Amino acid sequence: MRQPVEILIETYKNNLYVIAFNICKNIQDAEDVVQDTFIQYITFKKEFETEQHIRAWLIRVAINKAKNKNLTFFRRKIEPLENYMETLTFESSESFELFDTVIKLPEKYRVVIHLFYYEDYAIKDIASILKISESNVKVRLSRGRKLLKNTLKEVWEDDE
Amino acid sequence: MTNKEKYKQAFSGVHISDDFSLEVKTMTNKKQRFNQMIAGIVACILLVGGSSVAYATDLGGIQRTLQLWIDGDQTEVSIEFEADGSYAMEYVDSEGKTINQGGGGVAINADGSERPLTQEEIIDHLNDPDVRYEEDGSVWIDYFDQKIDITQKFDDDGICYAKLSNGQEVLYVTIKYQEGMAYSPKKYLSPSSFNE
Repeated sequence: MRQPVEILIETYKNNLYVIAFNICKNIQDAEDVVQDTFIQYITFKKEFETEQHIRAWLIRVAINKAKNKNLTFFRRKIEPLENYMETLTFESSESFELFDTVIKLPEKYRVVIHLFYYEDYAIKDIASILKISESNVKVRLSRGRKLLKNTLKEVWEDDE
Repeated sequence: MTNKEKYKQAFSGVHISDDFSLEVKTMTNKKQRFNQMIAGIVACILLVGGSSVAYATDLGGIQRTLQLWIDGDQTEVSIEFEADGSYAMEYVDSEGKTINQGGGGVAINADGSERPLTQEEIIDHLNDPDVRYEEDGSVWIDYFDQKIDITQKFDDDGICYAKLSNGQEVLYVTIKYQEGMAYSPKKYLSPSSFNE
């Protein structure tokens, strides 16, 4: 199956943007990643099995493209993250603290944490998207949670 | 509030710009134009080419007539080689149209200096595998007399691996969908090693 790209853009653009931002920590790069991901969907005439398959594929492509951005030698002049964070509105000081702590986690923990807590993916789905083993996902999730707990204390529940 | 709810609330302020869809359409056109300009990079030899490239014509080069495999058909081609490593060629395609193409390239020496490609190096590379993207969405590899449909061979990341043989040598080809290809007679090259 295929879906019109206009529908996919409306449905997933923000999710892809947030995961790309989570990796790039830069809004211009994140927006480029989302554009490139949808361009790849348009040009790549792949047939998908289900809508969830499309969603997982888009997320995987966005993650790969965001990681590539970080590796690219010719990176744009990066706006300090703090400047962007000043433009965001947080509902509470805990929200700000959580955002700030997540964004400072090592990338490999940050991505797994994001797929689990933001995208509601199960461990086996995360393993499939990132092409790593389920046990590897569990380890990254566990270490990421510990780092969050160490910094956030009572703001972060023990949910392992 | 659960951790998931807290997490989603913390990231709820991160939003993409509202005029995003328009930018995608603009970028699509740019990307397609760019893809047509991607040059082949093989080992330490650089070749640039494409239809209607006028490259150092009328410099009094050496003209030869050769049989080359083009789009899977053996085709008589008239080629003029120039001393600067460029060439201009003319042939009649399977539909009877006269096609003019040109290109050129340099080889990079071990010390980093460049030299023009020789005639034989250019001929070798004119027989390289070629990837064709058809309007119906199908993708083909042309290699000597073979036309191979690889449309369904791409994985979820848009990567296709193909092993080609012309009866004398084997090539391991890695193709990135719309983003070029690389090959080696020894092994499949990693997608991250080219056109990143």
